[in-house]
Amino acid sequence: MKRIWCLTLVAMIGGSAAHARVKLVALPERARVVVSLTHPDQTLVEEERLITLQKGVNKVDFSWRGVSIDSSSIQVRLLTHPNDVKVLNTSYPPNENALVWEIASPAAQEERVRISYLLSGITREVTYRAVAEPNEQSMTLRNYLRLHNNSGEDLTEAEVALGYGSNFKKTIAHEEVLEMLSERVEALPVKKVLTWDSATLPWDPEYQKSTVGIPLNYVLTNDKPHKLGTHTLLPGKVRIFIKTKEQPAKDGDQPGEGVAFTGEDWAQLTPVDREMKLFIGQSRDVKVTQRRTKDERTNIRRNTSNQDVLWDKDEVYKIEIENFKKEQVNLTLVEHVPGYWKMVENSHAPQFKKKDAFTFEYNLTLPAESTGEKKTTVTFELNRVNVQGNEPASY
Amino acid sequence: MNFLFRLVSEKVGESVSGTRRSSLTHRLTHSLTYLAAALALLVTATAHARINVVTLPDRDSVQLTIYNSADLTLVKETRNLTLRKGMNRLEFSWANTLIDPTSVEFRALTHADEVEVADVSFPPRVTNTLEWRINSEFAGDVVVEIRYFTSGLSWSADYVAEAVKDEKLIDFSGAVRANNNSGEDYENAQVRLVVGVIRLVEDIANLARAGKPGTPTTVAAMSAAAPAAAPRRQLNEAFVAMDAAEKSMAARPKEIIREGVSEYFMYTVEGRDTILNGWSKRMPSFRAEKVPITSYYKFEKERFGDQVIRYYQFTNSVANKLGNEPLPDGAMKAFRFVSDDLLYAFVGSTSVKYIPVNEFVELDLGNDQEVSVKPTMMDWQKTDISFDTKGNVIGWTEKQTWQFEVQNSKDIPVVLDIRRNFSGDWSLTTAAKYDKVDATKVKFVVPLKPREKQTLGYEVMMKHGTNKTK
Repeated sequence: MKRIWCLTLVAMIGGSAAHARVKLVALPERARVVVSLTHPDQTLVEEERLITLQKGVNKVDFSWRGVSIDSSSIQVRLLTHPNDVKVLNTSYPPNENALVWEIASPAAQEERVRISYLLSGITREVTYRAVAEPNEQSMTLRNYLRLHNNSGEDLTEAEVALGYGSNFKKTIAHEEVLEMLSERVEALPVKKVLTWDSATLPWDPEYQKSTVGIPLNYVLTNDKPHKLGTHTLLPGKVRIFIKTKEQPAKDGDQPGEGVAFTGEDWAQLTPVDREMKLFIGQSRDVKVTQRRTKDERTNIRRNTSNQDVLWDKDEVYKIEIENFKKEQVNLTLVEHVPGYWKMVENSHAPQFKKKDAFTFEYNLTLPAESTGEKKTTVTFELNRVNVQGNEPASY
Repeated sequence: MNFLFRLVSEKVGESVSGTRRSSLTHRLTHSLTYLAAALALLVTATAHARINVVTLPDRDSVQLTIYNSADLTLVKETRNLTLRKGMNRLEFSWANTLIDPTSVEFRALTHADEVEVADVSFPPRVTNTLEWRINSEFAGDVVVEIRYFTSGLSWSADYVAEAVKDEKLIDFSGAVRANNNSGEDYENAQVRLVVGVIRLVEDIANLARAGKPGTPTTVAAMSAAAPAAAPRRQLNEAFVAMDAAEKSMAARPKEIIREGVSEYFMYTVEGRDTILNGWSKRMPSFRAEKVPITSYYKFEKERFGDQVIRYYQFTNSVANKLGNEPLPDGAMKAFRFVSDDLLYAFVGSTSVKYIPVNEFVELDLGNDQEVSVKPTMMDWQKTDISFDTKGNVIGWTEKQTWQFEVQNSKDIPVVLDIRRNFSGDWSLTTAAKYDKVDATKVKFVVPLKPREKQTLGYEVMMKHGTNKTK
C-alpha cells in the first residue's frame, strides 16, 4: 500500500455526477520534511510546502491515504506572511481522511506553509555495540539508531531530530528499516565488576554439583570524565565484543585482529552522571564461600505463657574469596539484613557501603591469584535489635 | 371527525408531496431530511372539505444552540407562512433526523396576538409527524418560529500550547469544533455553543427514536430514524453553496462572541455558518500570546509510581493574558519551539478540565524521563517497645530514614514537587523545606537548575499500638 499525503489547492469544485468531492488541484511540492523523535512515544512530522494563494478566501485541502495521521493533531502555520495571511477555519468531511482549510490572503501570492502532525508507524530502537580492549579497561562504544518506517510514507531527505546532537538528513522508504550510527566513543573507560549476591547465589560452593558462576558486569559512567555525559543514554540492547588475536595465516606473519562476543544486556535509561550496569555473563574463576559462624539469640523477652515475643540476635559472618585469575578482579559482595540492625564489627570498613536500610555491599579488589593462604577473608558481626520474626526486608 | 381528519390528512399529504416535488427539487438534492409544513384550511361543518395547500415555505433563518455536556441542540428556525382566517392545519414532519417530538414548539412572531395554537396532534400509525391546529384571526403572511431539540450535533473545544525554548511562556490558542451527525444539513445557520452542565432526565436521541411522545423505542423505529450518511454528490453541491456563500466573507477569522448565561457560558460565532451532515467545522476562538507558565514536575509514588510527571501551570487570569472567559473542557496538545525557525518538539497531550476565570490550571503532560527522583530508605529502626501485663508486645515506634536523589537532566530550570504520604501517629524531621498538604501528606518543592542534582532527606517517626498519642 503506497502512501498518499496530498495537499491540494482547490481551484474549482463541481461536477454533478461525481461521487466524491471533485477538485481541480495544484499539487504543491514538499519543500522540507522534519521528523521529530524527541518524544519517547510519538513521532511528529513537520513538512513545508509552497502554495500559491489567490486574493481572498482560498480552500486548501489536506488529505491522506494509507498513512495513519492523528487528525486532531494537524496544524498549519503560515511562514511567509504570518501576520497577513489567516487561517479562517477548518472543515472535516465525513468518512474521509481529509480536511479543508479556508485561508484568507490579502493578495495573490506564494506562501510557504508548515504542516505539523503526529504520525503513527515510525518506531525507533537504540542499540549499542561495544568492542572492549583485551584488558577490559576501555572499549569503543557505538550507538545506533534503528528507525522502522511502517507509516505508509516514504520519507525523502527528511531531517531527523533526536533531541540531542544535530539533526541529520535521511531517506527512509515505507517498510524500510534504517540503522544509522548516531554516536561513536573511542577509548571509553569501563569498569569490570563481578557481583556476588548472598540472596541469589549459593553460600557454600562445596555443596554444588557444578562450579558457581558469578555474574559479570561492565559499568559505564555517563559523565564527561568517562567521555560521555552529553545526554541521557536511552534504553536498548548492548552487545559487547572483545578484541582477540587471530592466528596468523602462516608462520612468521603478524597475528591478525579479530573479536569474540562476550555477552549482551538491556541497557537501562541512564541520565547524565549515572552509571549503566550491564550484566553480560559469568565468571567462574572467582570462588566465594559465605558462612554464618555465630547465630545467637540474646535479651529474650517472654510473655506469661513463656512464649518468646521479642529478642536480639548476635550474628557473625565470614566470607572467603579466592581469585584464580592472573589479574586482579573487582568484586562486589551484596548482603541483605531485614529489620533493625547495627554493625558491631567489620573487617573491611573502607570497602563497606550501605545501599539502603536492608542492603549493604563490600566493593573489593581481589589481588591476582589470591588463592589458598592468600585468599581474601571478610568478616562482620551484626547485632539485630528488637526482633519479632516479622521484620521488613524491603520497602 | 376522525374520518374527516384522516381524509384531510391524506389529501394534505398528497398535495404536499406533489408540491414538494415541484418546488423543492433543489433542496432535496442536498438534504436527506425534509422538513415539511403544509397549510390547510379546514372547513369543519360539512363533509366536503375545502383544502388549501400553500407552497412549502423555506426556512428563513436557523439558529443552532449546541450543548457540550449532553447530546442536545436547540434548533430555532423561522419561516413565513400564509394563514387564512379561522382554523389552519400545519403539518410538520421529519425523517432521518433525530428530533425529539416532545420538544417541537410553534409560535407566531408577527401577529402573535391573533395566532394561537389550538392543539397538536401526533397522528396514529405515523411517526415523525405532527400537526398543529392553528386558530388565526388574521389572514395573510405571518412569520413563525419553530423550535425543537435535536441530537447528533455536538461541539468540543481544543487547545494548542506552544512553549518557548525555556518553557517559561506559552502561546495559547483555543478552537471550537462543531460536529454535525444529526442527519440534517444546516446551511447559513447562526451557531451558538454552550459551555455548562445541564440536566436531562431522558435522552434526546431516545425520545427522537420513539417518533412520537410516549412510544417505546423499537428497533424498527430506531432504524427508520437513524441518520444516514448523505451521499457524496449532495455534499459536493453543498460544498459549492458554502463556497459561494463565504466568498463574500471578510478575510479574517470569525469573531466569537462570549457571554455568561446563568451557570452557563455561551459562544456565539459571528455571522452564519454552514455545517453539512457528516461534516465538522473548527474555528479559532482565541489566542493569547506569551502567557507565563511554570514547568512543574510532580513525584508521588502512590499516584504515579516511579515516574515523574510534567505539568504546565498557569492561571486563567487577565494578569496572565487570559481570564476573559472560562475555558471549556477539551483536548490540548503542547509543543515546544526547539529552533530559531520555530520547529516543534511534541511535549504531550492531555485533556483540559473546565477552567473558570482566575482558576489555577495544571496541564498534565505525562512522564518526562529527563527529570528523575530516586527514593531510598537508608535506615529502619524499631524502638520503644511496650508490653501488656501478659508480656506481649502492644506498642512500638518505627523510625525510617529516607534519602531522595533528584536530578534535572534538562538544559532548562524546572520545579520539582515531591509528595509523601504517612499514616497514623507520625512526625517528620528534616533539614529540607516542606509544606504539610493535609494530615497525612507533605510536599517538598525543589527548584532545580539545568542539569542540577540534589539529595534531600528526612526522618519519619511512626508510633504504633499503645505508643500512639494521636
